[in-house]
Amino acid sequence: MDTLFGITGKDFVITAYDSKAVASITLMKIGEDKSRELNPHTLMLFSGEPGDGVHFSEYIERNIKLYGIRNGMELSPRAVSSFARRELADSLRSRKPYSVNLLIAGYDTKTSTPALYWLDHLASLAEVPFAAHGYGAYYCLSLLDRYHRPDISEEEGIKLMQKCIGELRSRMILNMPDFVAKIVSKDGIRIVQI
Amino acid sequence: MAGSYDRALTVFSPDGHLFQVDYALEAVRKGSCAVGVRGKDYVVLGVEKKSVLKLQDDRTVKKICMLDEHVCLAFAGLSADARVLVNKARIECQSHRLTVEDSVSIEYITRYIAGVQQKYTQSGGVRPFGISTLIMGFDSDKVPKLYQTDPSGVYSAWKANAIGRSSKTVREFLEKNYKEDMTKEDTIKLAIKSLLEVVQTGAKNIEIALMGPDAVIQRLELSEVEKVVAEIEAENEKEKEKAKPASAQQ
Amino acid sequence: MDTLVSKYANSASSASFDNADNLGDNLSGWDAANQFALPAFDIPMVANPVDFLRAHTDASAENRIRIQHGTTTLAFKFQGGIIVAVDSRASGGSYIASQTVKKVIEINPYLLGTMAGGAADCQYWERELGRRCRLYELRNKERISVAAASKILSNMVYDYKGMGLSMGTMITGWDKTGPALFYVDSDGTRMKGERFSVGSGSTFAYGVLDSGYDFDLSVPDAIELGRRAIYHATHRDAYSGGSVNVFHVKETGWEFIGNYDVGELHWHYAAQPKGPVV
Repeated sequence: MDTLFGITGKDFVITAYDSKAVASITLMKIGEDKSRELNPHTLMLFSGEPGDGVHFSEYIERNIKLYGIRNGMELSPRAVSSFARRELADSLRSRKPYSVNLLIAGYDTKTSTPALYWLDHLASLAEVPFAAHGYGAYYCLSLLDRYHRPDISEEEGIKLMQKCIGELRSRMILNMPDFVAKIVSKDGIRIVQI
Repeated sequence: MAGSYDRALTVFSPDGHLFQVDYALEAVRKGSCAVGVRGKDYVVLGVEKKSVLKLQDDRTVKKICMLDEHVCLAFAGLSADARVLVNKARIECQSHRLTVEDSVSIEYITRYIAGVQQKYTQSGGVRPFGISTLIMGFDSDKVPKLYQTDPSGVYSAWKANAIGRSSKTVREFLEKNYKEDMTKEDTIKLAIKSLLEVVQTGAKNIEIALMGPDAVIQRLELSEVEKVVAEIEAENEKEKEKAKPASAQQ
Repeated sequence: MDTLVSKYANSASSASFDNADNLGDNLSGWDAANQFALPAFDIPMVANPVDFLRAHTDASAENRIRIQHGTTTLAFKFQGGIIVAVDSRASGGSYIASQTVKKVIEINPYLLGTMAGGAADCQYWERELGRRCRLYELRNKERISVAAASKILSNMVYDYKGMGLSMGTMITGWDKTGPALFYVDSDGTRMKGERFSVGSGSTFAYGVLDSGYDFDLSVPDAIELGRRAIYHATHRDAYSGGSVNVFHVKETGWEFIGNYDVGELHWHYAAQPKGPVV
């Protein structure tokens, strides 16, 4: 089961996913990208049914990119997440629903605010200060409740993310070797060492 | 019913013409001029912009459109038709990325656009697109590409070409002045120079977009275009000066 | 946005192959390329086609359709390209149906696919992929990239997700970007990688492969590693066996290296000293 994290800070969102790709009991690959850049300031992380995550998020990505090219301006993170929610909700009511859990991290360049949206496989959407999907949520939500402030700086955000990942590494029976962390801020999306 | 073969689109005239397609080409010839020039590492599109009315917002009048991050299209003819075609092409660009991961090659998207245009010459209940297009961009091989399509669905690759009003004059000008392996500056200059053959009003009615090997679309600001126009005018003056004494001797 | 949305309303890939604009429909004579763009099967008109067929696919079913499942296949990148090695046993439950199955599918001179899971599914879809790759080549005047080919395969089988397809394959080849290796399965998973093994014997193969792997392996050493990993898998996995087929993917296309009976390999390796543990 994949683990995804997202934490908002003062002017950024930090996200992390474990980069394992697993097929039954075998670890097929480390370094699998479980995120897609939807536009320069919005990042989508996915987990869930194998195959569905990539197909769904790439489908959303292409639509958001198309919007950007057609209109010469990008959708806000809020608009992106509403669109993703609707797509997922419609698919849920089709013969073959996508079974994916998502985190959408964005930086709204108009209002200069960071935003994090939590979207589960039943298409319920919530804007949250921090979020987690997968087993990692059971360990780390309390930790985040304890330490998270809305005004944390980037350094603190990275430290908090390290705390979460450290907790997983020490408590979870599954081996959690490699996390990839990405920060979304006014300068766009970048990978940070964690 | 003599003469009715120019009403129903899908009917040939006895001498092998599809009149609606010919008329579409005529609409292109009436449209404002667009040029494309390929240099060594850069490719430039330039169009003649219609004068903006006093109360009109000129930002809403764009004749060079981005199809994808690495592809640009300029057109001559009916703007409204272009909008429909551009829309189809943009969807195809994203669809291509979704299905085969790679971005479209310039030839691919040209072929797609030409394919759509062709379809509209062979279908019932529709009329052809009244536009020709110039498409520029870069593939992964980092060589600048320039293609042209027309309402019949023909497409071809060019070093430099012009479409629209007075395109013949401009193309002849390009044929005379085109040089292999032009620098960025020379490529822009040739594009503007050739446009000035038909644009009387100067820089403010010229729109220029260019692309380098990084495949990022740059649009020239009015001031930059003005600078090049001024340069060209200065050169022309010099030419005239040179020509004068020669004629005086005669 | 709604245009693309409606185009892909059911799945990300189904509509993409049928480029037919609404416009094209009313004119069309018969466009062969379009017609065959994506194979479409008749699906029972019931809410859940898989349930519908359960009577014939369940383990307890009286007239069960048995599908070949056991396999060991592997592929890895190294300095000299890619080595692909597979076993050759087809089994249906505890019955060995064949010891001479070709589990490397030669899609074209530059692309190889491996076969694990349902033999028919792999053969059918990879042959279909071969057809599409050839069409791509004819239309675009250049060979398809391995990334694109694997994506096409992934999209095709993803359309039938949940309907009982069983396929775990590695698509390998050499394109403009160099050697490339992708894992594609019937869940719709597709990933690029350096080293994969698929099938019931894959864990055994991984053991030998991972411990002996080095990117700088020479070509003969790499071939030997691939062959040995499959041999050891056939030794421990009852559903793998027969012989080892080894292929080498190079810039000039793939080359068949050889077929090695695992019985003979067994005595060959038994006679060899095992050497020190490095």
